[in-house]
Order: sequence, then C-alpha cells, then structure tokens
Amino acid sequence: MFSLKKTGTILCALTIGLSGVLAGCGSSGKEQSTSIGSTSQPAASTESSGPVQIDFWYALGGVRGKTIEDMVKKFNETHKDIIVKPAYQGAYQENHSKVLASVAAGNNPDVTMVEIASIAAFADAKVLEDLTPYSQGDEKKYIPGLMKNSYWNDKLYAVPFNRSTPLLYINRDMLKEAGLDSNGPKTWDELVSFSQKLSKKEGDKITRYGFSTPVDIWFYEALVFQGGGNILSENGKELTINNEAGKAPLELWSKMVKEGIMKNPPGENYNAWDVAEQDFLNQKVGMIFTSTGSLTELKKNAKFDMGAAFLPANKTFGTPTGGANLVMLAKSTDAEKKAAWEFMKWMTDTEQTVPWSIASGYMPVTTEAIDSAEMKAFYEKEPNFKVAVDQLQYGYPRPMAPGYKELQDVIQKELQRAMLGQATVDEAMQTATEKGSKLLKK
Amino acid sequence: MYRVVLASRKTVEWIGLLIVAFLFVFPFLWMASTAFKTMPEVRQFPPTLLPETWEWSNFAQAWESGPFLMYTWNSILVAVGILVLQFLTAVPAAYAFARYKFPGRNLLFGLVLIVLMIPGQVIFLPIYVQLSGWGLVNTLWSLILPYAASAFGIFLLRQAFMQVPDEVIEAARLDNASEWKIMWTIMVPMAKPVLVTFGLFSFIYHWNDYFWPLIMTNSDEVRTLPIGISSLHMSDGGTLWNVMMAGNMILILPILVIFFVAQRHIIKAFIYQSK
Repeated sequence: MFSLKKTGTILCALTIGLSGVLAGCGSSGKEQSTSIGSTSQPAASTESSGPVQIDFWYALGGVRGKTIEDMVKKFNETHKDIIVKPAYQGAYQENHSKVLASVAAGNNPDVTMVEIASIAAFADAKVLEDLTPYSQGDEKKYIPGLMKNSYWNDKLYAVPFNRSTPLLYINRDMLKEAGLDSNGPKTWDELVSFSQKLSKKEGDKITRYGFSTPVDIWFYEALVFQGGGNILSENGKELTINNEAGKAPLELWSKMVKEGIMKNPPGENYNAWDVAEQDFLNQKVGMIFTSTGSLTELKKNAKFDMGAAFLPANKTFGTPTGGANLVMLAKSTDAEKKAAWEFMKWMTDTEQTVPWSIASGYMPVTTEAIDSAEMKAFYEKEPNFKVAVDQLQYGYPRPMAPGYKELQDVIQKELQRAMLGQATVDEAMQTATEKGSKLLKK
Repeated sequence: MYRVVLASRKTVEWIGLLIVAFLFVFPFLWMASTAFKTMPEVRQFPPTLLPETWEWSNFAQAWESGPFLMYTWNSILVAVGILVLQFLTAVPAAYAFARYKFPGRNLLFGLVLIVLMIPGQVIFLPIYVQLSGWGLVNTLWSLILPYAASAFGIFLLRQAFMQVPDEVIEAARLDNASEWKIMWTIMVPMAKPVLVTFGLFSFIYHWNDYFWPLIMTNSDEVRTLPIGISSLHMSDGGTLWNVMMAGNMILILPILVIFFVAQRHIIKAFIYQSK
C-alpha cells in the first residue's frame, strides 16, 4: 500500500536535511558508524592480527534456532581466533532470497544454510565457493547417502547439516485395535488395505481416516522414486514425470481420497503439514507422511503408542532426503573462507551432530556419529529415531537443477489441481511437463 | 404498519452487522484464547473456545525468547520515524498538487499514482543495493528512509485539501498569511481526521511489516517485533502455537490501544470523504 520512492535525490536530501530531526532514530552510535564507514567487509577480517569475524545466517526458528545459537556460542568460546556472528533470517525461502540480494549488494554472509534442492541454483549462479581445496578428503566423514545434494558439476559445494527424510508415522494402538500389523504397511497395496480398515464412518460422515499426507512435492518425489521413476532426466534438463511412474502417485492418492480413506489436509504449503500432524495427534487419522524433523515434537505430544516406519514401497522402497546444507560464499575474503571452513567442519563434526540430532530429530550427518556409543544407546531407547537413518539405503538426492525451486511450485500446483478434481491426472502431468520444460530451458 | 416494516428492516440490518462484526472479530478472539492455552489444549479436538486453564506464562516465554524490549523500541522508532517523515513530505506535496497550477502537475501526480501501484517486493533489490552502497544496511535508517515519502499519503491528503473552500484561503491571504502558514495552520487542522486516518494506516502497516525489516537487517540490535515473533516459528513442525499467539498479542496490543483512542477521528474521516 505504501510504496517505496526510488528517487535517490529525495532520499539524499532527506538524509542530509532531516538527520537532525531524527537523530534519535539511529540504532546506536556504534552500529551506525561501523556500517557507514566500511564498504562491505568488517575491517577486522582483512587484518592478520585479531580474530576473524564471519557471518552465519541460519533458517530455523523456535527451539532449534536456540540450539544453533548455543552451538555457535560454544564454537566462539573454543576458537579464540574466530568470531562467528549468527543471525536468523526467516525460513528457507526467505533466507534464499536474502542471500541472493546480499550477494548482489556485496554484503553477503560467509556461511549460510541452504535447502538442499536449492544448492544447484546457488552453485550455478556462482555464489558458492568450491569446498574441495578446504576439505581435502575430509568430506568422507559424512554419510554417503546425504552427500548427493552436495555436488554440482562434480564440485563439492556443501556439507550436510540439518537433514531429514519423510517417514510414515503410525498410531500403533489404532493398528493393533484393528487387528493389523503394528509395524505398519510395507507396500502401497497394504497402505490402501490398512487405510480401509482404519477409516470409520458414522452415517455419511467420515469420522476417522486411515491415512493423510500433505500433497507436497517432497512426498510426491518419494512416490515417484518408489515406482522406479525420476523427476528429472539424468542431465537435469528434462522433466520426466509424464509417464507411469509420474502418474502412479496421483492415481493412488486421488483413489484413496475418493474412497474416503485418505484425508487431503487443507492449507497452503506448511499449513497442510500442520493440519496432518494435528489430525494424527488427535487420532483423527491413523497414519501420516511427515518429516523425521517432527519426531521429537510428535513424540512429546502423542497420547498413544507412536511408531515411525519406512515409506511403503511400490516397486521398491524409496525416499528423497531433505533439510538443509551448510555452504560457503564465494565472495568472502580468503581469511574469512578459512575461518568459515573451520566453522562448517566443527558444526558438522560427530561431537556436535550427535547432540544436535538428539535434540532436534534431524539425522546425524557423520558415519562415526551413527556408530558412536551415545547414538547407539539413544537408538536403543528410541528406535523410531533410527528409522530415517536405515531408510537412507533407499535414499535419492532431491532433483538437481538451477530452476528446481520454481519448477517444484509448478509441479505442486498441478498435483493439487488433480487432487481437487480440477484436472485429470493426465491433464495435470501434461500441464506440469509443458510449463516445467519452459522453466528448464531458461 | 409502516413503522413495523421500518423496525424489522432495522433488525435485519443489525443482525447483518453483527454477523459481519463477528466474522472480523473472531480471528482476534481465537488468537487471544490460543495465547492463554496450554499446548495440549491447543491441539485438543474438538477445540475449546475459552482456555480451561489460563496459562499466563506463555507471554513471559514469548517475551523472554529474545531481546523483545529492544525489538519493541526499534519498532517504535521505525514506525514513528516513518510517520514523521511522511507527514513532512506528504503535506507540502499534497498542498502543491491541490492548490497550485504548474506545468507538469498532472504528469507528476500520475507518477505518484503509479508508485501507489507498485508493490515494494518488486523493487526491493535496487533499493537494497543502493542502501548497501551507502552503508546503511543493518541500520534503522534502512528501515525508515525508503518509506520517507508515501504516495498514498500524498493522494489521500490532496483529496482532503481540495475540499477546503477557496474562501478560507482567500481570507487568510488577505490577512497576509504566508503560504507556509496557510498550509500548516489552516489546511492541516482542517484535514485532521484524514491525517489521523492516514497516520494510523501508516503506523499499523510499518508496525506490522515483516518483509522489509527482515531483508534489511541482520542483527538483533536493529530488528523489529515482527521478526522477533516470527523466530518463534519452527520450520519443520513443532511450533508452540500458544507462545506464538502470545507473541502476536504483544505485537498488536499497542495498535489496539491507539485504535481505540483514535477511532472517533477515523469515523469522521470516512464521513468527511463521502461528503
């Protein structure tokens, strides 16, 4: 409503003329002078004396953001020559826009979190620093199944940090009560038959659904992989979902919705995720797909025996990985890059990733962490937390293409149109392919 | 007979108004009620309208989750700073557009109207780069300066100034009042309801603004309340909605207070406009 005036002259005049009037508006003398005085980088970072200061932008709020802040604090206490300044920058998407803007303006951070499907876009735009010279083989410590989204054109650009996979969450009490295997369905057919038995009707009204999942690109990817398909061609230049494997997920979901055994949770993007989880906790649905990142919270709030299982298989098991990686920015100075690598390495070391995983529900990222006594003891006590790690043997990278962020919006919109009956499955896949191909050619 | 029809029409109008009012007020009530619930009760189904146990600690938890005093102070500085600048730029501009004939007037006013139609998100990048060039990123100035002139304010005030009768201005000129004096001591007081309404719009918009402060700032020292509250939201599930809503209550409280104080003027402004 209140538009911005671009006119530089007005702004200049105002800055000069009214600075007296608004003297109280500067945040603090120090903040003002440092930011006006320096061009883009703090002076301390270019000098060899004194600690190097680097900026780290992260994209997790709430308790998880607090944990990250605590980790950074510990890093700063143990590294006298490096000062990391952490800053929360909104969710993945907001951080994404902001990092790109800051690179254009020349005041970018040195390390940031990037959602794994966006790595290609950043690398392709030459925003990221090639990590190979820094890591020198160190990257072998990470779980191989998590590394597929770290490379672009055979160069290492990212290390895994907060990583997840989708899981099938089940209400074991409900399954037992219906006389079903309390380990959950293993195949799509079983998913359907379990859902039929779990659903309840009173008159014409469905009071309980067997299954629910947000109609989200992430779960769609999983189901396409399970049918032996792929979202993009090998070279990443073509959309390959207008075929049997691409249509099967939509056919499965819409059939289940029509039959009244699956609920299509309403809401845009993450709102639908919230609805699905809410319904699951309230025992309005028996089984849902959601991220392993929700495990801690769901476990805390469920008043029933909650279990996690592999996503059911079609031709095979299959799952994309998700979450975010840490990257280093190409525009930083050499000293900053050296410090940035120290920091990235430290954040993802076994000593940090184990407590981070236990606190957040995300997967630990090093093989050593999974074999550690602490993690093993934890998995012994909480077997649900191990499911995501086990499922990694069927893990696929998220599709890698510079335009995938826009492409996934196109696909998701068509998925929803089909689910709402505004298009047939064939039409939806046709439209998605047409629109998607245009995006990929850009 | 006629009287009965009239009365029943009144009743229908009242019921209609009540329904509409309820539709608008309900989300607020829902937010307020959620802010006082415990987390299990938030997730409970069917939902409760009023909290069973009043959990006042949600507010403390929201407030203590970050430097909220600093956020509040920044929000006040930014919203008030923008308001002052907008008044200082919009009043002379609107006066000129309303009362002077000069070459290019229509063209310039057309430009103002165009600015009115461009959303800030579209042009944020060039502004970001410009402010970064001046070294203003991550300062409160970067939140204030881009909004120093408001096309909406110019437009609204121009309409109000045009309604002031010519005689009033002529009389003032006869008394040797300067143009500056006419503008600030005659026009502005006469347009007071419109000024108050515009001020409210502006204040509320910038008080609530999330996008711009998020883009322009990196550190807590210069961040505003909406960013503080959004950081209560967890990305992959597990948000504490009760604490989040308590945070939102803290955010809207000042606005509610101002709104109640100023509502007399707002109503006046709308009557004034529709004359």
